[in-house]
Amino acid sequence: MKIFLQEIRSDYEGFSVLVSLAAETRECDFDDIEIDMSRATWIDANMCAPFGAILYKVGRGLNTVRLTNIPVDVETILSRNGFLCNYGWSRRTDTYGSTIEYKRFDPKDDRYFADYIEKYMIGKGIPDMSFELLKKFRESIYEIFSNAVIHSRTKQGIFSCGQYYHKKHLFEFSIADLGIGIRQNIQRRFGLDLPAADAINWALEGHNTTKTGPIPGGLGLKLLREFIVRNEGRIQIVSDKGYWELSGEKVTTRSFSDPFPGTVVNIVINTGDTKSYCLASEVNPEEIF
Amino acid sequence: MSDKIVLMVFEVVGSGICVSSDDGQKVHDQIATALRQGKYVRLSFLNVESLTSAFLNASIGQLYGEFSEETIKLSLSVSDMEKNDLALLKRVVEMAKEYFRNPERFKKAREEALEERDAD
Repeated sequence: MKIFLQEIRSDYEGFSVLVSLAAETRECDFDDIEIDMSRATWIDANMCAPFGAILYKVGRGLNTVRLTNIPVDVETILSRNGFLCNYGWSRRTDTYGSTIEYKRFDPKDDRYFADYIEKYMIGKGIPDMSFELLKKFRESIYEIFSNAVIHSRTKQGIFSCGQYYHKKHLFEFSIADLGIGIRQNIQRRFGLDLPAADAINWALEGHNTTKTGPIPGGLGLKLLREFIVRNEGRIQIVSDKGYWELSGEKVTTRSFSDPFPGTVVNIVINTGDTKSYCLASEVNPEEIF
Repeated sequence: MSDKIVLMVFEVVGSGICVSSDDGQKVHDQIATALRQGKYVRLSFLNVESLTSAFLNASIGQLYGEFSEETIKLSLSVSDMEKNDLALLKRVVEMAKEYFRNPERFKKAREEALEERDAD
């Protein structure tokens, strides 16, 4: 089987390419799958997370995956962040120290994930942000990972990758899982059959949560949203057939013709943000409980 | 034997990166054991660098499933927490109270906590 891949940017069209790839390979078992990348003239590095998730799923069907005719620029990006190491390439040195490497984690790998993130937060060309912004940034990434661990029910892992764009003062980071997706989570928990994009919207509103059991929850994505709005960054969430994007304070939702086999959260942080993230008012520790 | 206990979150977790639900569970289990014995617990966040709602829900929010708001108010305090982290904790606590105000949920959480304690 031969599939031609188009360029994959961090936008609806980029996710559409990946959703199509997932649909075309869904029924493959013991197949030889060549992904011809001659037409993929650009791939945003962070999109290796959802791209890698789909290829990993294909591999679990005992298919052989080959990536061929990779344009030079794309090969450079994907070997610097380690993505192509999974497909027979050597790693290239990340000369500018501007990548957070592509990696797959199991849900129980919180500690490894934390070590991986902390490794890139100090020096290594990742920009100097204010202490408060850096703390918010780190904690946002941890919230996304925790969300995937708690809600996805994935047995196939959680995939992450990031990239810093020096000139644009932007940091893009993606986490993808191969779990049950938000729509199905809501359907199982409440019997509500929402369109996929509406399901994502539901998850980000008010006190909505699918959490059950002895540990409460439901704050993670809301906190992320608040931070990104203040930072003037961007969030994209893809789950099942739903696409949800927050940019500035504007929310856009769209649908795909086929589902992404899990959930992706992509954040873009404005690293040039000089706003204070320190609370203006004091919270009295005596009045917490 | 002292009625007052100081728990260092850093020491229980083994790191200042306190972000996972599993690590939060370890902290919760220590607090819960102490509260069941009628002790007063001061939870110190000294040297903790990163916190998430997932960690705080597991470590502290979960307590509202077993103990009354009154008990927690009288028996638990926090110290050495940055302003922003205090604000996060407050939100976690408010959501936890709301979560467990569902009587069925509270009853179920209490039963599960008792079963786990008996199994230990």
